[in-house]
Amino acid sequence: MPNVSLTINGKKISQPIEARTLLVQLLRDQLSLTGTHVGCDTSQCGCCTVHLNGKGVKSCAVLALSCQDSVITTIEGLAEGETLHPMQQAFREGHALQCGFCTPGMIMAGIDMVKRKGYELDEKTVREELEGNLCRCTGYHTIVKAIQAGARAMKNL
Amino acid sequence: MHDFLYQRPTQLPEASQWAKEHVDYKLLAGGMSLIPSLKMRLSQPAGLIDLSAIDALKGVRIEGDELIIKAMTPHAEVAIDKNVRQGIRALCELAAGIGDPLVRNRGTIGGSLANADPAACYPSAVLALNATIKTNQREIAADQFFLGLFETALHPGEIITEIRFPKPKAAAYWKFRQPASRFSLVGVFVAQTNTGVRVAITGAADTVFRHTEAEQRLNVQFHPSALKGLFMSEKNMNSDIHASAQYRAHCIDVITERAVAMALNLPPQKES
Amino acid sequence: MSASIQSAKIGDSVIRKEDHRLVTGAGCFSDDVNLPGQAYSVMLRSPHAHAKVLGIHTKNALKCPGVISILTGQDLITDKIKAIPHRPFSPHPADIMLTNSDGSEMFMAPHYPLVVDKVRHVGEAVAMVIAESLAAAKDGAEAIEVDYEILPSVTDTVSAAKKNAPRVFDTAPSNVCLDAETGDREKTEQAFAKAAKIVSFTTWIPRITGVPLEPRAAVGEYTDNGRHYTLHAGTSGAWRTQMDIAIMLGVHEDHVRVITKDVGGHFGTRGMLYGEFLLVVWAARRVGRPVKWTCDRQEAFVSDYQARDLAVEAELALDEKGHFLAIRGSNISNAGGHTTNFSPLRKGVEIMSTIYRMPAAFFRARGVVSNTAPTRPYRSSGRPEVIYVMERLIDLAALACGIDRVTLRRINLLQNHEMPYTNPFGMVFSDGDYHQSMEKALRMADWDGFEQRRQEAKTRGQCRGIGIANYVDTASGVPRERAEMTLRADGTVEVIIGTVSTGQGHETSFAQLVTDWLGVPFDQVKILTGDTQFVKFGGGTHSGRGLRLASIVIHSACQTIIKKGKRIAALLLKCEPSVIEFKEGVFYQKGELGQESQGGPVSLTQVAEASMGLTDLPEELQGPLRAIGDETVTVAEFPYGCQVVEVEIDPQLGSLKIINYTAVDDVGRAVNPAIIHGQVHGGIAQGVGQALMEQAHYDPVSGQLLSGSFMDYAMPRASDFPFFNAQYIEIPSKTHPLGMRPAGEGGTAPALGVMINAICHALQDYGVKHVEMPATSERIWQAIQQAQATKTS
Repeated sequence: MPNVSLTINGKKISQPIEARTLLVQLLRDQLSLTGTHVGCDTSQCGCCTVHLNGKGVKSCAVLALSCQDSVITTIEGLAEGETLHPMQQAFREGHALQCGFCTPGMIMAGIDMVKRKGYELDEKTVREELEGNLCRCTGYHTIVKAIQAGARAMKNL
Repeated sequence: MHDFLYQRPTQLPEASQWAKEHVDYKLLAGGMSLIPSLKMRLSQPAGLIDLSAIDALKGVRIEGDELIIKAMTPHAEVAIDKNVRQGIRALCELAAGIGDPLVRNRGTIGGSLANADPAACYPSAVLALNATIKTNQREIAADQFFLGLFETALHPGEIITEIRFPKPKAAAYWKFRQPASRFSLVGVFVAQTNTGVRVAITGAADTVFRHTEAEQRLNVQFHPSALKGLFMSEKNMNSDIHASAQYRAHCIDVITERAVAMALNLPPQKES
Repeated sequence: MSASIQSAKIGDSVIRKEDHRLVTGAGCFSDDVNLPGQAYSVMLRSPHAHAKVLGIHTKNALKCPGVISILTGQDLITDKIKAIPHRPFSPHPADIMLTNSDGSEMFMAPHYPLVVDKVRHVGEAVAMVIAESLAAAKDGAEAIEVDYEILPSVTDTVSAAKKNAPRVFDTAPSNVCLDAETGDREKTEQAFAKAAKIVSFTTWIPRITGVPLEPRAAVGEYTDNGRHYTLHAGTSGAWRTQMDIAIMLGVHEDHVRVITKDVGGHFGTRGMLYGEFLLVVWAARRVGRPVKWTCDRQEAFVSDYQARDLAVEAELALDEKGHFLAIRGSNISNAGGHTTNFSPLRKGVEIMSTIYRMPAAFFRARGVVSNTAPTRPYRSSGRPEVIYVMERLIDLAALACGIDRVTLRRINLLQNHEMPYTNPFGMVFSDGDYHQSMEKALRMADWDGFEQRRQEAKTRGQCRGIGIANYVDTASGVPRERAEMTLRADGTVEVIIGTVSTGQGHETSFAQLVTDWLGVPFDQVKILTGDTQFVKFGGGTHSGRGLRLASIVIHSACQTIIKKGKRIAALLLKCEPSVIEFKEGVFYQKGELGQESQGGPVSLTQVAEASMGLTDLPEELQGPLRAIGDETVTVAEFPYGCQVVEVEIDPQLGSLKIINYTAVDDVGRAVNPAIIHGQVHGGIAQGVGQALMEQAHYDPVSGQLLSGSFMDYAMPRASDFPFFNAQYIEIPSKTHPLGMRPAGEGGTAPALGVMINAICHALQDYGVKHVEMPATSERIWQAIQQAQATKTS
């Protein structure tokens, strides 16, 4: 069985895996990092979004072996102890979640958005940039606002 | 997903060797279409050759009048690349509208072309811009590349290395999204090139194709008004739950005009 | 803002208790549960819409490495597993009854979790493969051979109701399981006979599916010791699931435990037991180890309970001044491949006239089966469908009569003094100020300034339209709910309740109630749900009954706690209980609060400590301070409101953009405004999704589901919406003891009607009268083409 070595949430991992193992399966099934969710099989819902070498990707469409020597951040790796990441804090304060299933992906996508588009995000940009993340509960209203607020708060990181 | 063997070469010759010796392997060039199809067991290759570690297949450069995008350059990088922006702005805009931001971080131009999804964006740009697809074996002209539904001129084991785009005088891409997949319901790429106007349509038929009647008219006058009274035949148009053949043909008429207007930086058309 | 300093009483937008775990990935959804030694299962599903199962050959599949066992419908029969106990109507005295007009019994047939005779829709489970890994289970499923005798199928609702349609159940005389009449035929005919104007409208409210973002998943356990089954799965209420599984297994409920933790959305789809939930516990017994099942999204599209799917023919009669005289017509609801649920048919037809004055009405209501996935109530079950019909009829009538559509609504909308109002189907609307909500929405949306905005849009080549729709949401559902409240010596209040939050934030809003009523710090209130180990009854979360009923039983429990507390406090303060008062968590003698006085005041915590510590208390006051609120609420609630939508249409392509979305809801009394707004926003998005893009699209010939993944089932995305302009009003309900009205379904109820009304208004100049749902770009464009062709011909 091939082996994969990578860093996940600051921790070095080396693990034998089947070649077909998806990154999300490695995270959820083998490392018990169940904050990353699976909501579809066609890579559209975005519930499985993580950061791969600092960029947002859908971990259900990435082979774990493709991540050899990579740095992965998942939703579990954002907060520092009890201190939430500003984007997490913005979601919490802004009531930007209901059932919470899409939330980890939304937060990871939101941070990725800020990295690419900056701290001042207008409504149109956020809405367009959320193309790859579905939410069935909120109508996106509070999510868009939370990402705008989280983006501004990230300026002070 | 069935299990498979996996190789992740770091050099192109190594990849070529693997591909040559194992024609039952598939090339993994981002995987945004391939991995979902593996998951659904629609495709069961014996092995995968992952091209993502080959640095020589990534990047953008300008050579004379040509913009060259290497095969493993992700859409997200094409979308913000200065050379692309200066050379062929429409390509930036096209790349910025493929899939979603997370898909764009992974998906590559080479992967998109080799997959030849009939509703993908890039094939229309390659065809309209009269690009050349360079592989590890040869060069293929865009007009010879797309053969049909998910079918290209690539031989088994042939690896796309880069795409050479001659810079056009003007170009634009107008995409009308299918509401579910957000692929093109109809996408029109219009380019005024040194060898004449080329119009490529994606999403509407079983493969990307050139809209030759529109090209003829636009060669006479490169202006939206030149297209007045031109109606695309609904013959050969796709018809599915998202749009009838009739509607797709109609969209081509409207969107082609809009793409020409966009290429010319004309204000949006009001309804006549 | 930290939780400790925020005010957390009724009316505060408290940050949710749930959200720290959910934003850090620490939630526990169904697929997050893994048990030591668990096996994995996969369902082999039917590729055919309608076929006899002649044989299932598992020999090769059983040889696949890792395959442990393969179970079929025959094994269910052998083990005497009973059919899923569907309840076609949830019993509530406020709803009308629908019975066959010829006096016969409504047709019902057993629905087994695995097919026993024939498959009745694409995706019906035929066999369950249990293996060491998911991949091995899938390999096994691929290796099973099933002999099918393919039968002609029917998926379309109106076609299914026809006499000669392919028969879904051989034992039934037709696919029509229920054929009822409601209203007053004679009175209605008389009204129509003297009408100055009659408008008619024939439509189909398409079949959609709920798509909670979390796909279903379940893990089943069985222990020989005590013959005990445990199910871990996302449900809308653990207790009801426990009962149903016990019934199917034929065991006492004490032998079944159901544990539900975080649930990734519900919207009605999770309101009934899913066969797979029974299968995992049963399979766990069969194979002697825990068995897990996780649904793929594509599997969810074919096997989740679907929704809506109502064919309507309706006519509205008006007098020469525009007063409504009567409404009549026919509704046909499509239950799919099994007789699962006809509740949406009833919940719709009983309020066909919505909140307008309607002297007479008569409707035929039919429920049919077809070769499609079974359906269930979905957000605001039945009401969005009929509100859409009524609001379309009004706009069509306005055009036909030459009366302004807002004026027509003002003329016919019920006035305060007419309440309570008994509608022509016998439903009693208790109270509501319908004019206030409509006028507020009109103002918020700047209805009067629309013409100017339309002209501006025209200069950009865009057709702008504005639409309005009023709604009423008749909230009934399971009438009984129970709360068990315990005050711990450390000051913690535990509340055990039988609802399950599937995104509504019960841990927060229910805790706010306790904080407000007992004066206990918000952080010290713990809401415990979702585990039948301690939940002894609960109606579940549906029908706008979560907070509506929880507030009643929690209030009742709080009152009991205070009453008991007064007795203990009296002992502590050495006075009579009758002179003890309670406020903000403190017991004190009348007139002594804030004053230094002998032995008082005492806090609730001190009382709790005393109940645990003092041995000289009367016996009934010793031990943890505890109270049970258990109420059966037989009155329904009637939240209502109004929405106004403004759209722009690109007439060349038919593409549409929502420019403004205004919503006004009367919530009676708001507990957590932020949660309420969230409910409204999400409800709107689901309604808009149905109006514009969503459809579970079955091929009429093959019965195949053509929209079987997110590649083909269009989901609303962030870019489909503007920020919503939503406000609520608080007119305390007269039938709820605390004045509260549900807020969960009001977003959806008027959304279908308001969207289509806005679209048709935008296209009015072309002569377009109507666009069917989903109003896709093509549908809009085709409507323009047809209207223009009609004009020129």
